[in-house]
Amino acid sequence: MRKFTFLLVCMLFTVQAMFAQRTITGIVTNADDGSDIPGVSVRVKGTAIGTVTDLNGKYALSVPDDALTLVFSFVGMVTQEVAISGRTVINVVMQPEVLDIEGVVVTALGISRESKSLGYAVQSVDNQDIARTGNVSLLGSLQGKVAGIDIKPSSGMPGASSQFQIRGARSFTGNNAPLYVVDGMPIASNPIYSTGNSVTGADISNRAIDINPADIESIEVLKGQAAAALYGIRASNGVIIITTKSGKNLQVGRPVVTIGHNSSFDVVSRTPDYQTIYSQGTNGNYAYNASTSWGTKIIDLPKDPTFGGDNNGKPGMYRVFQLEQAGLDPWVYPAVYNNWDDYFRTGYTMTNTINVSQATSGGNFSLGFSNTDQTGIALNTGMTRYNVRANAERKLNSYFDVGFSANYSDINIDKLSGANDGSLAGVLSAPSSYNLKEIPYHWPGEPTRQIYYRGGSFDNAYWVEHNNTFNEKTGRFFGNAFVSFKTDIANNMNLKLRYQLGADNYTTHLQDIFGYGSRNNSQGEIDNYGTTSTIFNSLFTASFDWLINEDFDFNFLVGNELNHSNSKGYSDNGQNFIFPGWNHINNASVVSADEFQWANRTVGVFGSLSLSWKSMIYLNATGRNDVVSTMPRGNRTFFYPSASLSFVASELEPLKNLGWLSFAKLRTSYAEVGQAGNYYENYFVTPTYSGGFWLGEPIKYPIGGVRAYIPSYSLYDPNLKPQNTSSYEFGFDLKFLNNRLGIDYTYSKQNITDQIFPVPLAGSTGSGQLIMNGGAVTTDVHEIILYTAPVRTSDFQWDLNFNFTKITNMVDKLASGVESIFLGGFVTPQVRAGIGNTFPVIYGTSFVRDDNGNIVVIDNPGAWDHGFPMPGEPAVIGEVSPDFILGGTTAFSYKSVSLSAVFEWKQGGHMYSGSNGLLDLYGMSKVTEDRESTFIFKGVKDDGTPNDIVRGGPTDPLAIQKLYSDRLGDIDEFYVHENSFVKLREIALKYKLPKNIYKTATAGISVFARNILIWSALRNLDPETSQGNTNMGGAFERFSLPQTTSYGFSLDITF
Amino acid sequence: MRKILNILLSGLLVFAFWSCSEDIMDDINKNVNDPTDVASRLIITDVITSTAFNITGSDLAFYASVYMEHNVGSYGQSYSAEIRSGEPISATTYNNSWNSMYRNLADLKVIINKCSPEGSEEGNYHTLGIAQILNAYILAMLTDLMGDVPWTEALQPGEIFTPKIDKQEDIYKVVFQLLDDAIENLGKETTFPSLGSQDFIYGGNAKLWLQTAYGLKARYTMRLSFKNPNYDEVIALADQSYKSAADQCQFKYNASTTFSPFYRFFTDRDYFAPSQSLSDKLTNRNDPRVNIFWKEHPDTGSSEFAPNGSPENIQGKYGVSAISIPTAPTYLLSYHEIEFLKAEAYVRSGNNDAAKTALKKAITAAFQKVNIGLTADDADAYFDSEVLPKFTADPLSEVMNQKYIAFFEEEAVEAYNDYRRLIAMGNNVIVLANPLNANQFVQRYTYGASDVTTNYNVHEAYGDGTYVYTEKVWWAGGTR
Repeated sequence: MRKFTFLLVCMLFTVQAMFAQRTITGIVTNADDGSDIPGVSVRVKGTAIGTVTDLNGKYALSVPDDALTLVFSFVGMVTQEVAISGRTVINVVMQPEVLDIEGVVVTALGISRESKSLGYAVQSVDNQDIARTGNVSLLGSLQGKVAGIDIKPSSGMPGASSQFQIRGARSFTGNNAPLYVVDGMPIASNPIYSTGNSVTGADISNRAIDINPADIESIEVLKGQAAAALYGIRASNGVIIITTKSGKNLQVGRPVVTIGHNSSFDVVSRTPDYQTIYSQGTNGNYAYNASTSWGTKIIDLPKDPTFGGDNNGKPGMYRVFQLEQAGLDPWVYPAVYNNWDDYFRTGYTMTNTINVSQATSGGNFSLGFSNTDQTGIALNTGMTRYNVRANAERKLNSYFDVGFSANYSDINIDKLSGANDGSLAGVLSAPSSYNLKEIPYHWPGEPTRQIYYRGGSFDNAYWVEHNNTFNEKTGRFFGNAFVSFKTDIANNMNLKLRYQLGADNYTTHLQDIFGYGSRNNSQGEIDNYGTTSTIFNSLFTASFDWLINEDFDFNFLVGNELNHSNSKGYSDNGQNFIFPGWNHINNASVVSADEFQWANRTVGVFGSLSLSWKSMIYLNATGRNDVVSTMPRGNRTFFYPSASLSFVASELEPLKNLGWLSFAKLRTSYAEVGQAGNYYENYFVTPTYSGGFWLGEPIKYPIGGVRAYIPSYSLYDPNLKPQNTSSYEFGFDLKFLNNRLGIDYTYSKQNITDQIFPVPLAGSTGSGQLIMNGGAVTTDVHEIILYTAPVRTSDFQWDLNFNFTKITNMVDKLASGVESIFLGGFVTPQVRAGIGNTFPVIYGTSFVRDDNGNIVVIDNPGAWDHGFPMPGEPAVIGEVSPDFILGGTTAFSYKSVSLSAVFEWKQGGHMYSGSNGLLDLYGMSKVTEDRESTFIFKGVKDDGTPNDIVRGGPTDPLAIQKLYSDRLGDIDEFYVHENSFVKLREIALKYKLPKNIYKTATAGISVFARNILIWSALRNLDPETSQGNTNMGGAFERFSLPQTTSYGFSLDITF
Repeated sequence: MRKILNILLSGLLVFAFWSCSEDIMDDINKNVNDPTDVASRLIITDVITSTAFNITGSDLAFYASVYMEHNVGSYGQSYSAEIRSGEPISATTYNNSWNSMYRNLADLKVIINKCSPEGSEEGNYHTLGIAQILNAYILAMLTDLMGDVPWTEALQPGEIFTPKIDKQEDIYKVVFQLLDDAIENLGKETTFPSLGSQDFIYGGNAKLWLQTAYGLKARYTMRLSFKNPNYDEVIALADQSYKSAADQCQFKYNASTTFSPFYRFFTDRDYFAPSQSLSDKLTNRNDPRVNIFWKEHPDTGSSEFAPNGSPENIQGKYGVSAISIPTAPTYLLSYHEIEFLKAEAYVRSGNNDAAKTALKKAITAAFQKVNIGLTADDADAYFDSEVLPKFTADPLSEVMNQKYIAFFEEEAVEAYNDYRRLIAMGNNVIVLANPLNANQFVQRYTYGASDVTTNYNVHEAYGDGTYVYTEKVWWAGGTR
């Protein structure tokens, strides 16, 4: 349990009594974990006589004979008054303060610091906040709870990737995710495979999914570079420090067993508004094979000359060709189907956890086991995860401590594909007249031969369930063991040495199968690929504490870290299954295999110096030198400094006694950190043929045993140097009214230069991209955290907190001659970085506009596009990043009942919504329902006068189809939408049974809901639905898997 | 205790420095997955494949097929091209082909450098000659479709980021020079082994590559006829080229690891419908190929023809090409083209008898393409009853129309080049039906987006892309 505090310190004065007559000694410990508390103020009540405890929590105080009571006070602890009653040894156990907002926090490399001493922003999230609604995704459970971060989930699919950025992006195409440190060990958290252009195949999860939120004791988010600087080259994106449950904070005593169960029911979060009047077809005519719904009215289908029953002896009915293919009676009555709602089922997620922990006087341990079983809302999607965890620490003697932390996870995810391979393309846009669910998806007796309402490359979603596979399996172990040695060098000095060795090892196997009969590749295709990765981490630290005198405290730390990773990957591709029904690589007629190996190493030496004066001024400076293998020879060594200052203004005499001001602190910091690239000597590759019009690979080496090699599309600049981020931040923390109201504000500025990225080359240079330095990005971030406790009585408590984030992430410069960097999507539309824009932007065909920004329409009577807008030059058509994000958390508790909620408001930003555009193009969206009225497209004519060209109506019946299908479909800007929304991320009602259910067993029950869309500027779809696990996340949607809303309950029993 | 600590600390320090020495780090960062250099014979293999598949066979041909009404674009981007909405003026339309052409030119530069004096394979004359032929071929393709393009400053990645544009007239000089150099090199003796199986087209046969060099010279000499007619030269060059279809420069597909682009374009996209105007031309001639070119759409059984310029935007409504088969070869230069070149040159020099002979050979070869499957007798009968009368009436028209039909569907780009040249020369003999051609005939292809967005020289030349409707290339009477 995190120690929260917020009381004002009152221990600065240590005037020794002249007439001391006896000495009282003792030790002050923490009730939470039994640890010693240094710096506790011990005073004789009613006098100025006092002292503070030393580093081991010990004190010795001479008191006058007439002294009756000692007062023990410490930040974050309940002040205690203890009667002396003639004793000379008084040991005190202090209880943590109930209303706590911050206390001691874990900072870089596991160093614990008092929160007030930090010259930079750190925010904590505790177990209760993470686990309250049983979100199986760690990142999902952080949304709305931390200022300065932006988490963008890609979809509601089980195991879906999320993009996580702290204070914006620093790298264009590289890593912007924070470093994850679990129990002191840095671990991998990024997807091992990128989704590339993110327009084909299935999403690939982040490795952060391996972490079970229920195992987490607490999370500290080190947001700025100064906070993270000790991690060196990996610190530029901030750090997530995760402490798993260890039993350390339990009261010494018998083992505590916690059993939890969590069930949630997931439903698709939003159903598009469909038109329900018109049938499949084009030009007002029914066409049974059309992808579009520009046909006749559904009720008029029986009148169709070819397919209608009115003239074919089946009055009121019409003939469905696909039923004929299925060998069924083709004559049906016209009806309207909602193929979206028909398809999605109620998903179910269940998590069971069991945890045993114990603290003893000599140490502590914790064992945990949990399993999560998730069935997605889409057919054939789901996730199974098992987590096993063991932590223990033991005090060997007064010098040595040993301990370990071990985690094993096994995860299996079944997914679906999006965008150009959209498994659900037909679910989204099937005509209202077509009964997608009931009409068989295959020919009788030929299970792989599809029946579908349309042509093209998309597979029938019901066929996909039985024939395509997108699976991901990962087994992972990570953990570390440490030994620490602590000794007093002198009374007021101590030395602590710690050595930790850890490993993070995982193997991921992925399998993508388009089965025999897939529209994508008629005889099917299989990809088996995977990676085994092992990271070793060796960390040595030596820390020296010196309480110079009552005013000055000095700490010095040096260390060495070696991080080495080895990876080996394979990729086997099989094409064209020989016979249907066995989608295995041994049934493929063309098989090719590939293998990769790579390694990298980072060796760092670091130091940190801290000096504090009178609990008022805290100064910290760090330096780290890293040597990395992935840079060119001669350019591998970098040094990164940081400095920070915290000034606790409320310690100043004039402020100290203000009743309404509980605490005031000013802080500022500066840091420089970098990010290395991945450099290689230029090399040759086997050419591949994919992309463009091709769905598979029409050419595949070796061809008849012959291979070929060509220079790689990517070249490397041998003068590559690391990208650099220099940042400063300042802020203040204020607490008022006995901590009932608090505000933390932070402004930070990052100047990021020499970005390493693949500079896109003009095709005429003969190459594709050059990996080099170039570019500059600046990021301005405002973070405000507001804490309030409007009601606080013994029975009823109400907390209301806000996290406000405003990130302005500007691309100021790219490499010379480069206007933009491609991040994903198509040639147009695409997501890219562009000079003078925030990062990233959507680029594509724009509307032709006049100088005033009005859309110009064509004035050409008789032309099919008379009065329509025109596709203009490709341009930036939307900025992705939001104007601000406001998260709010609130909790009411009355006796044993508590109600809590988290909401999030994201304002501004744009996304490309391919599905919305295509619903219009296909004539399936509600806006295409009125096909009989006339319309005037909003715009101006060439001469600047408002468009008054009337189209549509009975004499021009195809105009509306031509507009949406033939014209707006060619204008990407039409597909770009504002992406503001408000969501109720979580709401939970918890009841803790007031009585023990059996002997010492207590129980709690709660009901909750997650991800309820309250308002969205985007029509038809949940705005948190997108393609890609890369830096384009959240920007680009096209037949993406939908988001879910969950409702559930949880039970827990502790004994 | 202190002693132990000292040892421990110094040990760690030594370990720390040893663990990150430059040599160790070099070793860790060694790329074991890819070679840093390979022999030219392993590079040229893919230039051949990519030239055939990516450059000649795919996108450029698909769009030419629409503009030339070999097919009607009835869905997706092909539909947009058909109705002249967006696609013809967009820089993204041909971007993949643009990049592919330059990339292959860059690969050829590596080969040519290796095989030239001072190179690691100096004296590898035949590989050098083949590389020069391919270089000329790609360069001509580039300038025929895009006009003035970067060349002298191109292919220097990391050194010149924004290559300037060269005039088409100058680029054609380079094309002829490369072909002359190739002819010289292919005539030399070399100690290097033949390309053998690394050459998917000719198995390393230098003689056939030599014939290809002459054939291409004939094609490009004819190309410049509006600027500089030299029909005797065309005939002389063509005479040194192929003697039969067995000699032609074609890339064959095995339908296992390689597939014909038009076939894959159907299976992967299904964007084409049969062209009404092409069908009319065949019907008009009682051409037996009218029963061979098309078939029913496999999903719907429909066999309708699509109206040029105004099809419905739908899949399955119309029939499909029957000759888009998995093994339909891509012709870099066909034997029938050589005979058609001769026929046209003879007609233009007034030698109609010789023209007739060449035309008959051309049609016979075209009838016997693998995906047509007619016989020499079929060709004879057709020639006598249908072609001859038309030839007598208007020899040039019949030669060019027969060439136009013979080029369906793999050789659409050459059909497009011929059409533009004929218009420039005042020979409006091939009649297209798309009404949008009145003011939106696509005179040329746009530059690739990769240059339009990063190379200001090309960006400026591209403007808003509408120049494709107004500006002809230099050899067709334009200025750039």
